[in-house]
Amino acid sequence: MINNKVKIKTTNLNVYYGDKQALNDVNLEIHSKEVTALIGPSGCGKSTYIRCINRMNDVIDICRVTGSIEIDGNEINKKEIDVVSLREKIGMVFQKPNPFPKSIYDNVSYGPNIHGLAENKVKMDEIVETSLKKAALWNEVKDRLNEPGTSLSGGQQQRLCIARAISVNPEVILMDEPCSALDPIATAKIEELMDELKKTYTIVIVTHSMSQAVRVSQRTGFFHLGKLIEVDTTEKIFKNPNNKMTQDYITGRFG
Amino acid sequence: MNLAIIVLIVLFSISSFFFARTKVKKIAISNQTKLNALPDYYGFYLSLWCALPALLILIVWTIFEPSIIKAFIFQGISGENAQTYNNSELNLIYQQIKSFHFGYFTGTITEEIIRGAESYKSFLSIAQGSKIVLLATIIIFTTLYALKKILNNNKAREDVEKIFKGLLFVCSLVAILTTIGIIFALLFESIKFFSVINIFDFLFGTSWSPQRAFVRDASTITAEEYADLKNAFGTVPLFAGTAFIALIAMIVAVPIGLFSGIYMAEYANTKVRKYSKPIIEILAGIPTVVYGFFAALTVGPFFREIGEKFGLEVSSESALAAGLVMGVMIIPYISSLSDDVINAVPQSLRDGSYAIGATKSETIKRVVFPAALPGIVGSVLLAVSRAIGETMIVVMAAGLAANLTLNPLESTTTITTQIVMILVGDQEFDSPKTQSAFALGLTLFFATLVLNYIALRVVKKYREKYE
Repeated sequence: MINNKVKIKTTNLNVYYGDKQALNDVNLEIHSKEVTALIGPSGCGKSTYIRCINRMNDVIDICRVTGSIEIDGNEINKKEIDVVSLREKIGMVFQKPNPFPKSIYDNVSYGPNIHGLAENKVKMDEIVETSLKKAALWNEVKDRLNEPGTSLSGGQQQRLCIARAISVNPEVILMDEPCSALDPIATAKIEELMDELKKTYTIVIVTHSMSQAVRVSQRTGFFHLGKLIEVDTTEKIFKNPNNKMTQDYITGRFG
Repeated sequence: MNLAIIVLIVLFSISSFFFARTKVKKIAISNQTKLNALPDYYGFYLSLWCALPALLILIVWTIFEPSIIKAFIFQGISGENAQTYNNSELNLIYQQIKSFHFGYFTGTITEEIIRGAESYKSFLSIAQGSKIVLLATIIIFTTLYALKKILNNNKAREDVEKIFKGLLFVCSLVAILTTIGIIFALLFESIKFFSVINIFDFLFGTSWSPQRAFVRDASTITAEEYADLKNAFGTVPLFAGTAFIALIAMIVAVPIGLFSGIYMAEYANTKVRKYSKPIIEILAGIPTVVYGFFAALTVGPFFREIGEKFGLEVSSESALAAGLVMGVMIIPYISSLSDDVINAVPQSLRDGSYAIGATKSETIKRVVFPAALPGIVGSVLLAVSRAIGETMIVVMAAGLAANLTLNPLESTTTITTQIVMILVGDQEFDSPKTQSAFALGLTLFFATLVLNYIALRVVKKYREKYE
């Protein structure tokens, strides 16, 4: 069942915020239709790494990215690349749920709307429905699609953000600590959802929870101080890591 | 005299602070008890009790003293004399007595005035003496009361907290009462005016020329005179002129202000922002009178010259010039406020939009702008009420003739301009001409109030709440 096709490949990736180096020669391959977990202590560069993949670091003025990022073998870390269509292909879910201050419907239709994915209202309704269904939120909100997205609970908001991300049919979903602001029940729902989503999408998740990494991911990468220390199958990393530092981190001896 | 008393009270209150602080410390040590609050709080408690009641009484006293003395003097004059005086004559005599007492009276000195001045002097010294006695008693009582509390180790922290709460409440009460007072002053004068001029003639009449309204006695107006009079007080041209000039100003200020606000909040880098924002805000610091002569001496004549080249008749005091300059004046309000509200929209919303592949302008149009809309509407309405209330520019640049026109090249006038025109120079306070200024003020106030209310409702209804 494991499909070893490489979806994303970074080579010698370096990121600088002003004078400060946030990532140091990261070489990482992310496999297609799998969940890859990135773990490591705070400030080690996990979030910076996933923000490189959809070029969200462009938003930050002082940020500079060097090295190569390939998606399906195409280099995306160059000026000519169109970030709009790149981000259409690579969705992102953030640490804190950030639904737009619009209705639930408008939150999901936002992406299809700006990318012109639906030619009429019927088609749009369909996209909204399938996206919400895929995000396991449809049954909870189908009767109140016109209510503001901010009126939902935290866990529902986060699933709404996932629905928003998958509404444009991306190939990759990046998740930056998606459960850190949620309670255990909402977390369980999102984790279940990720299991379902990985059949269709490639998922990269940043997490601080070791148990979450074990539960949801097939491969795990351990970052420390801007360097990728070790990457392997999740089983190997958590049972028998090669690196002493990884061992120390997952057993809670530092970090 | 009052100054000396205040200084004394303050000095006493400050020294009581230190007294109370050391006193409670000593007691705590000698009795081996724990104080309920920091020693400073006992100091504050005692010094506030020393000063506040006394100062309050002093203020009340100072407000009422002159009128009480006046009443006594009036009584004295009327009591001694066989002849009766009416109120204004009494006032005159009182003024004469006062100026004689202070030594700058220049008229003929009569027996009556000398006697009056003597009693004025004695009343003053009685007042002075009783004031000091009263204040001293109050200070002694309040200080003893507070001291007793302190010696019983009261909850000084909570009590001081309560006193401050009371002080703040009184301050807000003063603000509210002042507002209500102003409204009532407007209202009463306006009622006098509307007892002469029908309110509908005032609101819907189309001819305004208060200069020709000479009314001696409002109760003896014949129907013919009234027909003439109501043509002097029709305010439609003024409202039309005000709205028209405000509209021109908003047409200039809203797009420029809003777009520059968006540019500064979303596109400008830190360096540009650092310099451009203060520069735009300098516009807000220019006195309106400077804008006024800029409009009257530069912009107005400029438009007239251009108009002449095209064979257009342009008045040198045009609505266009006034509105345009007013618009420039308002730009910084809108740009600075909308910049602030746009900045207050959380970055996470922008990230969410970018992450799904929206461009910068799409993000601004569809996410940032709607989220910031209530604030932006608020800033625009603030600007509208400024435009309506603005006086100096229109007085200098818009003209005085109340023309009912929609031609921006003609001169028009506004409510504020007319209020200025009516109230400049010597006034008789019981003529409808003067009272019409109050009626105009009241209408203006009412219009702004309605505008603000509508704005609040709109903002509330269409608010897109983030967080």
